[in-house]
Amino acid sequence: MAQMMLLITPELCTGCRLCEGACSFHHYRVIQPSRSRITVVKFEDRGLDVPVTCLQCDDAPCVAACPTSALWKDEESGLVVYEAERCIGCKSCITACPFGGVGWDAETNSILKCDWCGGDPQCARICPTGAIKWVRADQADDTKRRMVALRMQEVAQNLMAPKRAGV
Amino acid sequence: MVELGGYAGRYLRVDLSAGKIWVRETPKELIRNYLGGLGFAVKILWDEVDEHTDPLGPDNRLVISTGPLTGTMFPAAGRYQVNAKSPLTGIWGHANAGGFFGPELKFAGYDFIVIQGRAERPIYLVIDDDLVELRDASHLWGEERNGRFYGGKTTFETIQMIREELGDETFKVAAIGPAGENTVRFASIINDLGNAAGRTGMGAVMGSKRLKAIAVRGSRGVRVAKPELFMEVVDDAYRKLLVDWGDALKETLTKYGTPNLVEAINAMGRMPVKNHWTGYWEKAHLIGGERIREEFRVKQASCFGCLVQCKYLVRSRKEPYAGIYKGPEYEALVSFGSSLLVEDVEAVFYANHLADLYGMDSISLGMTIAWAMESWEHGLLTKEDTGGLDLSWGNAEAMVELVKKTAFREGFGNVIAEGSKRASEIVGRGTERFAMHVKGNEISAQDGRAHQSSGLTHATAARGADHLTSLSCLEERGYEQVAAERYGADKVKDLVDPQSTRYKGWLVWDLEMLYALGNSLIICWYEVGWPPVFYYPDMARAVAAATGIAEFGDPNEVKRIAKRIAILRRMFNVREGLRRKDDTLPERFLKEPMPTGPAKGHVCRLDEMLDDYYEAAGIDKETGVPKDETLRELGLGELAGRWR
Repeated sequence: MAQMMLLITPELCTGCRLCEGACSFHHYRVIQPSRSRITVVKFEDRGLDVPVTCLQCDDAPCVAACPTSALWKDEESGLVVYEAERCIGCKSCITACPFGGVGWDAETNSILKCDWCGGDPQCARICPTGAIKWVRADQADDTKRRMVALRMQEVAQNLMAPKRAGV
Repeated sequence: MVELGGYAGRYLRVDLSAGKIWVRETPKELIRNYLGGLGFAVKILWDEVDEHTDPLGPDNRLVISTGPLTGTMFPAAGRYQVNAKSPLTGIWGHANAGGFFGPELKFAGYDFIVIQGRAERPIYLVIDDDLVELRDASHLWGEERNGRFYGGKTTFETIQMIREELGDETFKVAAIGPAGENTVRFASIINDLGNAAGRTGMGAVMGSKRLKAIAVRGSRGVRVAKPELFMEVVDDAYRKLLVDWGDALKETLTKYGTPNLVEAINAMGRMPVKNHWTGYWEKAHLIGGERIREEFRVKQASCFGCLVQCKYLVRSRKEPYAGIYKGPEYEALVSFGSSLLVEDVEAVFYANHLADLYGMDSISLGMTIAWAMESWEHGLLTKEDTGGLDLSWGNAEAMVELVKKTAFREGFGNVIAEGSKRASEIVGRGTERFAMHVKGNEISAQDGRAHQSSGLTHATAARGADHLTSLSCLEERGYEQVAAERYGADKVKDLVDPQSTRYKGWLVWDLEMLYALGNSLIICWYEVGWPPVFYYPDMARAVAAATGIAEFGDPNEVKRIAKRIAILRRMFNVREGLRRKDDTLPERFLKEPMPTGPAKGHVCRLDEMLDDYYEAAGIDKETGVPKDETLRELGLGELAGRWR
C-alpha cells in the first residue's frame, strides 16, 4: 500500500481549531486542545493560522534521539510509531524535533505525537476548509497543484467577467 | 460532587474592592433551572442587583458566562456572554462574543465569573487553570491630566502586552480600551483581537470597576456525559449544516460573511440609510458583500469550532486607512456606511477597526453619529457645538475624527459618548426626535416599516432596540419550508410576508425563547437565527447528551427553561419600572411612511402585533408585566403580585 501523509496548506486554515477538538476527543474522549497532537498556531494580528503536527519524517530526529527505541519508523506505512511502554519520559524527542511536532502530556506523563488515528486521521476528516488533507504521499503534489490551479482558475474567471459599472 | 458533562462544575467570584477571589461549586439548581450562559446571568443579576444599583457603581455585577455546549464539538459553540445592568440603558444589559475566550474559560475549569466591587487601582485578572490572581494594570491604564485623558492602551495593545507579560501567546484575553476606561456608555469588551462583546456598554462596567482585562489559559478541556451519543448528535448537526443547508451557506455566510446581507436587505428596502430615514440606498453596492469580496477580502477566518466561518479579513491600501483589519459585519457596514451616507468603504473598515481598538460598540457609535449628522442637517448642531467638525452627511473624515474623540471623551466626543438618547437630551433644541433608540439603546440595522416583525423585535427586546433577541429571518429570507414545519402550512403565507402583521406576535415570542436558549447553551445565532437550522428538538438532544441530564432531552422542558429565562429577564426590566408604554419605537417608524425604496409608503404597525406578543408570552396586555399565572407556571411564584 502506498504511503499516506497529512497535507497541510496553512493559507486555507481559518483557525477554527476543530482539528484540535477532534484529535483530543479521538484519543481521550475529552475535548481538550491542550492534549491535542495537532495545534493551530495563530498570528492574530496578521490573520495567519498554521496547523502544526508531527510530519512523520523519514530520517526522524526524534527516532535518532530516543534512547529506548520507544520511537521507531515503520517503513511500510511511513508512520513514526510511539510505544509508551518503552518510553522513559526523557523528552529528548521534544528537544530533537525541528517542528515542535512532539508535545508532553502532563496527565499521563507521556508524549503527545500524531499516530494518524490508526489510519483515519480525525483532523483531516473534520477540517471544513481542506487545510488538512489525508492524501497519498506520492500524489500530494498533484493535490496541491490542483488546489492552486483551482484558485488560479477563479482569478482568471474574475478577470474575464464584465466589470460592473462604476467599480 | 456529581460529575455532570458539559459543565466545568465550578465558578469564580471576584470581589475587586476586597481583592478576594473565591472558587465555588456551580449550584445544581442553577443548572437545572437556568441551563447556562444567559440563563445563569439572568438569575444571578436578578438576585444580586436591583433597581437602586448604579450600573457604574461597585454594586453592579459583571457576569461572564459560558454554557454547557461551550467549548464542545457542537458546531459554533465558541461564544460567551457578558451580562450586567447596562450603563447605556439603565436596564438589563448583555453582549455576546465569539472567538476563543469562552471555550478557554471552560477549559480552565469555570462555568462563569461573577465580578463585583471596584478595585482601588487598575488591575487585570489572570486565570491559569487553578491559579487565579489579580495583577497591576497601571501601565495599561490611561490617566487624566487637566481634564484631558491621556494614554490608555488600546484593546489590541493590552492583549499583546499581557500575553508578553505572562510569557505565553496562547492566553486568551478579553480587554477594554480607552473607551471602557472612560466609561463611554456603549464601550465594548474585545477578545482575541477583534471579537466584540459590543452592545449595552459592558466595557464601561468593566472600566467602572477598574478591571482592564481578563486573561485565561486552560488545560482541562470539556467532558461530555455521553461521548458516543454526543458525537452522533454532532455528526447530525454537521450534516444539517454542511449538507441540508450546505449550498445556502456556501453562497452566503461562508463566502461573504454577513456583508452578504447588504445587497439582500437593501433589495427588500430595509437597510437603514441616513439615520433610519429610509430603507433603500442606490449606492449600497459600494459597501456590499460582492465588492468587499472582490476588492478587499484577503482571508477567511473563524471562531472556535465553527463550520460556518463567516469571519474574514480585509486589506486596504489607501492612505490614511491602509492596513489589514477584521472585516466589518453587516451591522457595522450600515452604522458607519449607509446610516451616515459614507460611500468610502475603506473609511468604514477603518472606523470599525478604531471602534475595536478603542473598544466601542459599532452599532451605538455609528447610530449616535447619525443622530449628530441629522441634527446638523437641520441646523440644530453647528461648528460651535462640534468643535469645528463639519458633520455633513457622508463626511468620512469627520466620522473617523469623531470616533477617536468619543473614545477619549474629547470635545464633542464627550457628548457622543453618552449615546443618542442622553446626547439629544444634553443638546436639546428638538434633536431628541433624531435619536433613533428604544429604551436608550440605538436601533440596529433593520426597519419595522419594511419588515413588520423586526419593529416588534426592536420594541420588545429586553436590552433595548436589538435584533439578536428575536429577529425573524423567515420573511427576511423567505424560508417557507421552515415556517411550515414549525408553525403549520396554513400560516406560511403570512409568516413569510414581511408586511403581514398576522401571527408575528407569536412568532417573535417563539424566537425570543429560542434565542434565549441559544444564548444559554451557548451556540451562535448564525445557525439558530439565520439560517434557521437548529430548533428546540436539536438543542434538547445536544444538551441532554452533553450534560447527561435526562430532563433536558425533552424539547418542551428546554422550551420551558427558555421561557423562564426570557420572563425573568423581562421582570428585571419591570423591576426597573418599565411597562407596556416602553415597548415602543421612535415616531419615525410609527408615523413617517417609508419615503423611498421597495417598502415605500409603509409604516410599522406595531400595535397590531404587540397584543399577540403579550398573549403568546403570558404577559398582561395593559401593563406589560408578566401575569401571575405565567410566573407560577415557571416556578417564579414568589414574584407574583409584586409589580403592577
